[in-house]
Amino acid sequence: MRLRSLLSCFLLCAALLGQDAALKDTFLQAKALWATQGDREGATARFDTVVAALAPKGVALEPDWIQVLCESYNWLAVLDDRAAPTKPRAQVRLQALIDLNPDFDVDRGLTSQRLAALFDRMKGEKYALVKLSYAPEGGRLLVDGQSGAPLPRKHLPFGTHKLTYTRPGHAAADLTLDLGPRDVKAADFTLTRTSSTLRFHVQPTDVEILLDGKSLGYAIGKAGPEAAPLAQPLGLRPEDLSAAFVIAELPPGKHRLELRAPCLRTKSLELGPELATPAADHTLEPIRLEPSKGTLSVTSAWPGGELFLSGQSFGPLPVAKAAICSGLYDLLVRFPAGGFSQRLAVVEGQTLSLDVRPKPRLAFAGLEGGDFTGRARFLAQLEALGDRLQQVAFLPARPDEPPREALARLKASHEAELILLATPVQDQKVIHQVELVLATLDGEEERLVVKPLEQDPLGALATRLNTLFRTQEPGLGLSLLDVPGEPGPWVLAASELALKAGIQVGQPLLQVDGKAIPSVQLLRQQLEAAKGSLSLSQGGAAVSLPVRLEPLEIPLGSPDLCYPAVLAQLRLQYAGAKGDEANLVKLNLALVLMQFRKYDKAIELLRDARLSSVRGLSQGTIDYHTGCCFLQMGSAYQSEAGQAFRQALKYPQATLLGPDGPLVAPLARQALEDLR
Amino acid sequence: MFVLSPWLRPPAALLCAVPVLAQPQPPDPDLAERLFRSGERAYAAKAYKEALETWAQLLQAAPRSAYAPEVLLRLARHFVEVEQKPEAAMPYLDRLRAEFIKAPEAPAGLLLRGILLARQARRPSDLKDAMAEFNRVLDFFPRSDACAGARLHLGRAWRDQGHPGQALQFFIDAFRLGGDSRVAPQAMFEAALTLDAMGDLPGCLQMLQRLRTKAPQSSEAAEATWRTALLVKQRLVKPPLRNEGPWPAGRTKWLKTPTLLATAPEGDLLIFQSDLDHVFRLHGNDLTPQGPAAPGTRALLVAPSGALWLLTKAGLLREDATAVLPLGTLGAISGAALDRWGTLWVADAKTPALTLFPAEGPPRTVASPTASALAALPAGGVLIAADGDRKLLFLDADGQPRTIVPYGQGLPAAFRTVTALASDGAGQVAALVDGGDFGEGVVIFGPDGAVLRQATFKALGVSGRITSLALDRSGGLILCDRRNDLLLRLN
Repeated sequence: MRLRSLLSCFLLCAALLGQDAALKDTFLQAKALWATQGDREGATARFDTVVAALAPKGVALEPDWIQVLCESYNWLAVLDDRAAPTKPRAQVRLQALIDLNPDFDVDRGLTSQRLAALFDRMKGEKYALVKLSYAPEGGRLLVDGQSGAPLPRKHLPFGTHKLTYTRPGHAAADLTLDLGPRDVKAADFTLTRTSSTLRFHVQPTDVEILLDGKSLGYAIGKAGPEAAPLAQPLGLRPEDLSAAFVIAELPPGKHRLELRAPCLRTKSLELGPELATPAADHTLEPIRLEPSKGTLSVTSAWPGGELFLSGQSFGPLPVAKAAICSGLYDLLVRFPAGGFSQRLAVVEGQTLSLDVRPKPRLAFAGLEGGDFTGRARFLAQLEALGDRLQQVAFLPARPDEPPREALARLKASHEAELILLATPVQDQKVIHQVELVLATLDGEEERLVVKPLEQDPLGALATRLNTLFRTQEPGLGLSLLDVPGEPGPWVLAASELALKAGIQVGQPLLQVDGKAIPSVQLLRQQLEAAKGSLSLSQGGAAVSLPVRLEPLEIPLGSPDLCYPAVLAQLRLQYAGAKGDEANLVKLNLALVLMQFRKYDKAIELLRDARLSSVRGLSQGTIDYHTGCCFLQMGSAYQSEAGQAFRQALKYPQATLLGPDGPLVAPLARQALEDLR
Repeated sequence: MFVLSPWLRPPAALLCAVPVLAQPQPPDPDLAERLFRSGERAYAAKAYKEALETWAQLLQAAPRSAYAPEVLLRLARHFVEVEQKPEAAMPYLDRLRAEFIKAPEAPAGLLLRGILLARQARRPSDLKDAMAEFNRVLDFFPRSDACAGARLHLGRAWRDQGHPGQALQFFIDAFRLGGDSRVAPQAMFEAALTLDAMGDLPGCLQMLQRLRTKAPQSSEAAEATWRTALLVKQRLVKPPLRNEGPWPAGRTKWLKTPTLLATAPEGDLLIFQSDLDHVFRLHGNDLTPQGPAAPGTRALLVAPSGALWLLTKAGLLREDATAVLPLGTLGAISGAALDRWGTLWVADAKTPALTLFPAEGPPRTVASPTASALAALPAGGVLIAADGDRKLLFLDADGQPRTIVPYGQGLPAAFRTVTALASDGAGQVAALVDGGDFGEGVVIFGPDGAVLRQATFKALGVSGRITSLALDRSGGLILCDRRNDLLLRLN
């Protein structure tokens, strides 16, 4: 739709430009036909064509075209005056000319004395002549508030007129004239200087000008031929420069001139006090702004992403080393499910590389009806919730769309993974509470009741939506204890790899990467920051152990997490995960679904999940949870539950929660006994 | 004539008045709210009488109001937590359960009711009603915060019934599935103890570490800290015993014939001095008398409340009771223990059985070899030393032998007699032994009967007459030397 409009506009502009050229050509042909060939009819026909094209626009025409139209009237009056049948029309042409521009004078060389006298007489019946002088020149004349060129002679209609002459750096001068028939009056303007002015051209155009941090506007348009002496030394054409930008009143003292434009390096100039005092007109060299760009690369392990920078598409991911104008952008990557958004600052000459993952989109469906004190404030807080969220992309409610319709639309369109609906709770007479329902499209929901008049009714929700959860943590394959009296974490158990490397069970760790490490907690902090491996010492030679990610179960029932959002995030994580990582996501998805008592869905996931490890969170863990799900589904699935628990017993080192969690085997054994 | 006890009168009166006042009257929703808020304000100001009266008025004036269930729950909690009269809370909880099962307060009410029922239990089978209440919370309100508490208490009930496997499932689910975050440290702690009881020491230690990491400020974390130190020392590192000499701080000849030792729940040592016929509490270096005078005390116990129980020739003297409970024909008491049901187990050196004195009801006997010493086991049950059979018997809560350890098993030489036994609350048991090729000395056993540490007094350089011993919280062993009137510490 938009493309079609743009195409239409382009074609129309092209047609108008073509028409202008043809009209000017017609005008020149008309002059030549009469001047060189004496073809009066041919010339008249062509001038009539010009008049027919321009006259309907009248004074709305640009000055060049008004000039063409005036000349055409002049020529037609002359041509009409030469033949008896058309002679009466000459006066009509002259009247049209005077009405269009009373300051236009007929070409006295072309026009007969009689016709010129007729012209003067017709003009004198409506207009009086004013002779003007300007000191200094180069200002702007306003007649009755309307701007016009500061001409030395001006014909004005009879009556009272207010004339104002202004010029940058000077106080304006006013003059009131009463004009009557046959009046010829003089108007002399002498302005008093008040301050310095600064005049300059900028290359390129559309540059914002700031003086001492305050925006004065934009340098726009194109310079005329008068700027040629300034443009040529720089190897530029005048039209490469902007029209002159004039700072009309430069206050005394030092100043800082700043020029800014997107994609261009900001330029700052220090203006000395001598420019302001004594007051004078100053013209600066043209100011050129250099291009400013950075490089952006965006990749993602998730398929189907498309990059947008402040609404402009940069195409599908991966986007490699795209040259981007420096500045602030709202980066958005749209995925088939989920999105990634970030405010991005592109700095000149720098390379930015982002590896993005989709975040769940949370659509606000709206606040349902029911009037209560503070409704507007609460609604504004809901609308601004997106500013506080880092882990989900927020989609505000559409104006004027009823919440129920929004719900239906969102469920049908799948344009968001999460939906938030606010419903006032009617409590007898007044509304003191609003229920917030946050749900996935599959219906897993959480409800919380807030008081709209409290200081920050959405604070808790925002915090929970921003809370990060982990399904993996770095580890060394060691089971460690804080034992009072020991100088460091005490090794309770170690993996085969750690034992082979020389770790001794039953001894404390004394140093990690050459530093004393007194507690398990501090070692964990060091592990978070570690890359590759850590060097451990138990008093003898240091042992290097690789840091590996160990799988974790997601904490369930935590008041810090918003579980519909957790589900949405896990679903997006799954889309970009492979192998054991994908299966770990499946396990955690199943656990959260179990929390929502959706055991059938959880079983589907657990059945498909396969973990290659046999220690810690492993296949035995999956089998145990599968058994628990079957148990919850009633006696019909007892045999399947038993089978799953028996399967879990095949992994005696499998644990719940994480690598140091309780063993699955005794729990599975007990569950089997209970089944018997 | 049946007379209600004074603390039952206000709730009974309230409940009697309800049917009369609940006759059709135009409901005034504002009145219920005003009464509730007024009671709330009074309660916050600790004007309990005013608050209770106001809430009682609410229950009379608006028995079906939306505030009624909350008031019932708050009244019940008040009687449990402030007045310490759990029986008075029951009528409110019964009504909450009967009339407001769909109210948001119902799960908390059911949980509290279950807890009170569990507290009243005097034997494992008594826990049935409490467990039913906990199960109701899980079945009816699966998303309630009360579920975590219900799982914790179900775990405890299963454990007290002798089913550690089921108990472990509930303890783990109590913190794994979340809910009330106050419950998680307790559940982790119970899970750790259960894992140890099931023979998974590494699992126990990892669970204690998890507890210290996840809830470092909790009281359970503090408990986990000393237990970790103790378990690592006694079970894994097992350093040889060393005589630290007179304790505390080298004090000698400062007691008057000490004959019995016991450890109070908070770790203080209790010493019976035979010449003074009195028990003394040692806190730091301060020795203060505690409890009644008890000439001829043969066994010294500490109830969970901290009260002393002294077994003498005259009978049982309780610090928290005035009357002396006769112990029948038991004349040669060799040891005693108190289990979680409040039942007193007594061993008599001349009786081939254990005599059990329940909190309510007549005493009974459990078949057993003649026991020369007896100590309570933290997981329930007792340990007896049967010199006649030369065996140590780990008995379960029903008095059935769970583990039998012949004297000398795991030692370089056998001993013949056990003079005294002591347990430390973390599963270890210390025996004061004598005779045989081993001779006089001490042996520390794990909960499975395995020898953890041992030493002869000869090797330790201990001389004197040692009559009793106690395990302290840091894994040390305190010996009571009646001949030299002092205490010794082995570490």
